[in-house]
Amino acid sequence: MTPPTVSAAGLTLSYRGTRVVDDVTLRLTEGVTGLLGPNGAGKTTLLRILATAMPPDNGAFMVLGQDPGTVGGRQEARRRLGYLPQNPGFHPDFTAFEFIDYVAILKELTDRRARHAEARRVLEAVGLADVRGKRIRRLSGGMRQRVALAAAMVGDPGFLVLDEPTVGLDPEQRMRFRELIAEAGEGRTVLLSTHQTEDVAMLCHRVLVMDKGRVRFDGTAAELTAVADGRVWSSAERQPGARAGWRTGTGEFRNVGDPPAGARLVEPTLEDGYLLALGRDTESGVAA
Amino acid sequence: MSWHADDGDLREYAHGALAVPRLWSVETHLAACADCRAVLSAYVQPAEIAAGWARLDAELDAPRPGPVESLLTRVGVADHTARLLAATPVLRRSWLAAVVLTLLLAVGVGLAASPLMLLATAPLLPLAGVAVSFGPGLDPTYEMAVVAPMHTFRLLMVRTVAVLSTTTALSGLASLALPSFGLAALGWLLPALALTSTGVALMARLGPVLASALVGGGWTALVVLNHLLASGAPVPFTAAGQGAAAVVAVVATVLLVAARDRFDSGRPLDPSFRSLRSFRFASRRLS
Repeated sequence: MTPPTVSAAGLTLSYRGTRVVDDVTLRLTEGVTGLLGPNGAGKTTLLRILATAMPPDNGAFMVLGQDPGTVGGRQEARRRLGYLPQNPGFHPDFTAFEFIDYVAILKELTDRRARHAEARRVLEAVGLADVRGKRIRRLSGGMRQRVALAAAMVGDPGFLVLDEPTVGLDPEQRMRFRELIAEAGEGRTVLLSTHQTEDVAMLCHRVLVMDKGRVRFDGTAAELTAVADGRVWSSAERQPGARAGWRTGTGEFRNVGDPPAGARLVEPTLEDGYLLALGRDTESGVAA
Repeated sequence: MSWHADDGDLREYAHGALAVPRLWSVETHLAACADCRAVLSAYVQPAEIAAGWARLDAELDAPRPGPVESLLTRVGVADHTARLLAATPVLRRSWLAAVVLTLLLAVGVGLAASPLMLLATAPLLPLAGVAVSFGPGLDPTYEMAVVAPMHTFRLLMVRTVAVLSTTTALSGLASLALPSFGLAALGWLLPALALTSTGVALMARLGPVLASALVGGGWTALVVLNHLLASGAPVPFTAAGQGAAAVVAVVATVLLVAARDRFDSGRPLDPSFRSLRSFRFASRRLS
């Protein structure tokens, strides 16, 4: 069995008395792992810890065989990880190429020719070869996001941390981004934070659901969908006992929760499983 | 054309093995002789042509260094370090314009009365410059920089040097505009070093904004109180004051070097990051 790219035990980080990340234990292996959760669930903080942008208060973790708790281990881990922050910043007067060149310098690529070759490679990989000479402030939001992905991919990292990369993109851009993330996940470990269940359904071999700082579910997308087996039903009227319920295009109500006897059960989706996983921290099939 | 290049020379030229001065001779001849170019083309392998195109393509893509970067490279700074120096966020026109304006005002006051305004203001400029050139919310690429393998401390030092040398050069020019005060017009230099090194050393614990505000506030209070309460020459600019500034600069630099690893953990700069985030979050909720 190949060793995990990331293994963490008991990660905890508090801020102003609140445990933003609360006793998180996980292992990440090759492929794309999705991290789902509502706003404020602690996803970004967990990602920042794993990307070595901030240390946890408690707990230990290893990234690519290195211990980021030590100065040397942190630097070694950083040499092989790529991070796309939630709100990636740019020097807007740089061209896309210049920006990647700058990031490559930060990633210790000092040889000019090798650095420029790497900048060309990653810009090609995200489909921005044609606009590499354009200033970043003149690029669309989707293109900027791709520049940020290219920056994260400089140096061919073994572990890629992507914090909500598809937010604010139109459907076509989102589809293009999914293709890029799927490609990036071949041969390396990608941790993708999102609150779009479609991203997870289409891309991820594994899903973590996080809420209030804790991991509430850890399994495959099919297993997350299965959490809602027998717990989604349709009805003509609003069901007061349902955890969530809404009128669909057919005029019927779709309900998620504990169905009454004789309810007309329907096929659950990943989103139904996600909704239930958020609220079920003690029942079987859902990690505490 | 009455003569042609030697066949052996053309072969060597094709493989990049021909040495000067024959290289220059053959190259000049090739530019004018179609026959020799045709012979040459038979000796060049397709892979070599492809590599040549790739090199040309890469050169065309390469970012054109600006005047500052070119100057730095010319005086021997490595091209990657020159790029880091030139990319210091505050070294933009708006910041430089603010520095120049402040110094012009200080010089104006100096011409009319005493150089105290320049002496008091000039040390604050590099301190403020370093504070706004590094840290979350201030450097747009801060998060990418902090997780990059390059030591955050090194990046901080590169930017500190960039800001310090720029403001020192501009303040030096301002001092030249006050020749009647002689060397006394350079009394800001040691306090500038002391304030900047103390500010950066405190950043390791307090973050850039708080550290610089404390140091800058302390300096301003010292100068103002001295002006109000003491008679005679302002103490910070006497020989004793200058000596004290030099000692502070050295001690702060030693402490800074000792605390250098703290910058890499991401934590020291985080308090301001968190408050900035909560401020942004609150303002988004209000809007």
